[in-house]
Amino acid sequence: MSVAGRRPDDTIVAAATPLARSALAVIRIDGPDSARILQTLTRTTSFTPRLAVHVELWKEDGAMLDDVVVTPFFGPSSFTGNDLMELTLHGNPALVQRAIREIVSLGARHAEQGEFSERAVLNGKIDLVQAEAISELINSRTALQAQLLLGNLQGVLSRRAASVRRSMLDAIVRLEASLDFSEEGYDFIDRVELERVIGGAIAEVEAMSRTYQRGAATSSGLAAVILGRPNAGKSSLLNRLVGSDRAIVTSVAGTTRDIIRETLEIGGLPVTVADTAGLRESEDPVEGIGIERARAAARSADLVLYLVDAQIGLTEADRLELGRFTHAQVIFTKTDLAPAPAGEFGISVTEDKGVDELLRRLDEQVRDQFVAAPGSVINDRQHLAVEGCLEGLREATRSIAEGYEEQIVLVDLHRAARALGTLTGAILTDEILAEIFSKFCIGK
Amino acid sequence: MESRFDVIIVGGGHAGAEAARVCARGGARVALVTMQAEAIGRMSCNPAIGGLAKGNLVKEIDALGGLMGEATDRAGIQFKILNRSRGPAVQGPRAQCDRDLYALAVQDILRLEPLIKVVEGVVAALLLRGPAVGGVILADGSHLTAAATIITTGTFLRALMHSGESKTAGGRFGEPSAATLSDSLRELGLRLGRLKTGTPPRIQKDSVDFSKMEEARGDQEPRPFSILTDRIELPQVLCHVTYTSPVAHDLIRANLHRAPMYSGQIEATGPRYCPSIEDKVVRFADKERHQIFVEPEGLEHPWLYLNGISTSLPADVQDAVVQSLPGFEQAVIARYGYAVEYDFVNPQQLEPTLRVKDVEGLYLAGQINGTSGYEEAAAQGLMAGINALQQIRGGAPVTIRRDQGYSGVMIDDLVTLGTEEPYRMFTSRAEHRLLLGCDSVYERLTQIGVSLGIVDEERRRRVEQRVDRMDRARSLAQTTTLTPDQRTLTALAPFGVSLHEKASVARLLQRHDLSVEVLMDALSNEHSGLTEAFRSLRSEELEGVVSQLRYAGYVDRQRREADRSAEDDLLSIPRAMGFALPGLSTEVVEKLCSIRPASLGQAARIPGVTPAAISILRMHLRRGPITLKAATA
Repeated sequence: MSVAGRRPDDTIVAAATPLARSALAVIRIDGPDSARILQTLTRTTSFTPRLAVHVELWKEDGAMLDDVVVTPFFGPSSFTGNDLMELTLHGNPALVQRAIREIVSLGARHAEQGEFSERAVLNGKIDLVQAEAISELINSRTALQAQLLLGNLQGVLSRRAASVRRSMLDAIVRLEASLDFSEEGYDFIDRVELERVIGGAIAEVEAMSRTYQRGAATSSGLAAVILGRPNAGKSSLLNRLVGSDRAIVTSVAGTTRDIIRETLEIGGLPVTVADTAGLRESEDPVEGIGIERARAAARSADLVLYLVDAQIGLTEADRLELGRFTHAQVIFTKTDLAPAPAGEFGISVTEDKGVDELLRRLDEQVRDQFVAAPGSVINDRQHLAVEGCLEGLREATRSIAEGYEEQIVLVDLHRAARALGTLTGAILTDEILAEIFSKFCIGK
Repeated sequence: MESRFDVIIVGGGHAGAEAARVCARGGARVALVTMQAEAIGRMSCNPAIGGLAKGNLVKEIDALGGLMGEATDRAGIQFKILNRSRGPAVQGPRAQCDRDLYALAVQDILRLEPLIKVVEGVVAALLLRGPAVGGVILADGSHLTAAATIITTGTFLRALMHSGESKTAGGRFGEPSAATLSDSLRELGLRLGRLKTGTPPRIQKDSVDFSKMEEARGDQEPRPFSILTDRIELPQVLCHVTYTSPVAHDLIRANLHRAPMYSGQIEATGPRYCPSIEDKVVRFADKERHQIFVEPEGLEHPWLYLNGISTSLPADVQDAVVQSLPGFEQAVIARYGYAVEYDFVNPQQLEPTLRVKDVEGLYLAGQINGTSGYEEAAAQGLMAGINALQQIRGGAPVTIRRDQGYSGVMIDDLVTLGTEEPYRMFTSRAEHRLLLGCDSVYERLTQIGVSLGIVDEERRRRVEQRVDRMDRARSLAQTTTLTPDQRTLTALAPFGVSLHEKASVARLLQRHDLSVEVLMDALSNEHSGLTEAFRSLRSEELEGVVSQLRYAGYVDRQRREADRSAEDDLLSIPRAMGFALPGLSTEVVEKLCSIRPASLGQAARIPGVTPAAISILRMHLRRGPITLKAATA
């Protein structure tokens, strides 16, 4: 594998829980020497697989480290498929670090990012989609996110991909047979059937591809940006949303210079809400930069709330900005001082009017537009695999339509099946592995 | 009798003949040991050479200086390109042959090699010299010695013929079995298995009524296999097709208990891809009919071969089944179909050179390695011969890569995956099929043969000219550009060709509605250089050039893929390297130790060798031995 410095055959160690004061902390040792190291540390000669035992942990120099619970797993019946020892220590960071140092001195090395999961994939214990789900699950912040990722971890997406891939492979096999056994007088697959299979696969893979936007949004959360002219009440709204004085609020236009971000849960997803510099022509270079940043943030945001002071109403400058951000929704503010125009939505932070209604609307919008179902495509790599498959399938359709023979259609179909195979890692390449496992956190 | 040779070849079938000739061509003194000199080159089963993927093997043999293509051209009585409508990469040339003329052609070709001595006799045992084989011991007790021995005994090792309930020792009708050679192989530690194959009944030609069958014609213009052949001289004949009916199927089902494969009399594995009629009736129970090709055994030969109905049912059932076929109501069976059961050597015990692992000087080729088919056997015979030759000359081992030829795919499959049933070549076994079409076979392989000194001057010259002609036509088609001006449009109009924008001839040829003949006619006045280059091509070369231009994008892509996957094949594993590396599971280590892959690429193709294991191997190969800090638990 081309992940620099990594080898899948030695013994690695890492803390599986954060280095912080806590009741318990878990250390994992994985690899061929893990059992020996555990024996040395615990001065115990034999362990029963998967049976947790209470033992003492000793340094080689005779000092006691901790008393712990160890659970030994022996390959292939372990998460990684290797011999894997789990030690539950008392949750003191210094203690954990000392234990790890001792384990390293006995022949293990510090694990790198995602190495435990990588080993599990290499040993065929889990597939890539599941490995990615683990990584994302650990980072997920809401119950809904966790639910989606748990679905993928349990193989919802993998099974979906495997099922389409099976239908493609079945068509490939029959088409191959029709070439290799063309003299035997049997019909293996006709054009109608072939086009039906390809068409079905395209529909299914397109559907998978369409889950990408929601899948990515659900797994990584959403970005919302509050935009508007100076003093439109952007910072007030942010503070009200997060329930604290996060942003400085003054009546001086241009108080907010840089972007201030806070995360809250909307519609079951973590949404990072950004308060931005008010949009206006400014001579001040610092404010100018802030304004540009605000626009950039809005361009890539999933949700844009464009605030307009109800006392002033929509100006020409507002219309210009709204032309740039067509997905922005206009909200009139300060309705305690002037009403929102008829038919428009307005809020008053001062009188706390309309804010709950705004949250209710956003909640609904997020659930409608962004929340994914389990089995969704959640990241770029998965999306690329799915798109690669689609490209091959569409090429196959084109080849058939243009009158190319089976030998060419097969090239396209093989390509499509291969691409889909890279999704779950039914086909593993070094590049895929390198890319995926560099995104993992240590000890997982 | 002179008893010292450079190479001894045991068996004069299709593998043995190729091995003998290539060794002699390379300057080795060859003993070709056969039970019967007149049986050299005999077609023991169907009277045809080539077919899908198999035809490509014959072309590869021809490109490397082998003889199968030449012999086929001298004996072929119906030539046909199969899969003609399905694209060049999957087309396979096939020729119906005169059985007797074929064997004579092989014998004539071998007779031209003064270094080949044909020895009639039965090999009783190998002459073992420690871990090496130094020759053979014949049944009469005489010894033949040589630095290299190639065993190509086909179906003759401990062969048993079954016809209904009766069993006879023998590898082919009327020919004895090689009873004791298997013991020598076992003594060397080789594991042997059992396979079976079958033949169909042969019918008296004058007892059938062809008017009740469909006609099966060959190509109008028979296309030779060998680059040495200018034209096919023999008269071309008709074949016929008939079909089984539910009546025949009922007869077979009612008598299944009398078929050796079903009664338990044979336990060996038969060829899944060339099933007996009993198998077909059982496995495809819902098929109302099975196709049978009715093939003449030769121009004058009094028998017909019923291709598609191989069987070992008892004689009375065969009579009834045959007489239920349209046109065969009065048919007389000249020889009943029978099955042969024989020993084979699991080919995972061979190096990619077909040499037995750990045994100096012993090579195996052909059906003994678990393959089926003349072409598969011949290609192995040629490669074993080349490597035996290299051994005695002190040259480097020679293997064909998977993206270079079906021979390479086959041998890699055999030594890496082994086989549990007779292995037949298919185009789908090649992952880069578009690179292996017959049109490019000489470009891919002849240079290898030339550098080994096994390609005759005439063949080399013809290959060079062919390649030049095709290159010239291809590059002129790429550089000649047509502009939609008045002159060009006027020239193209009578042929129904329109042109809307500037385009190279190569680009135009990618259009499926435009034939090269039409285009050349339209261009003959304007672009005489180009049209002359195209007209100088033989029809086969023309098809090759057009398909190369037409599929260039696809071929280029496969080329790049092949180059990428070739990287692991180039990372060779030193012979001395042990596989008991830390981190490898016992199961993987066992697999690697038994196959002992020659390259990382080959290791990755072994079933059950995980990506993790390949990573460990790769690291080990790149960085040298892995050392661990401490002993194991």
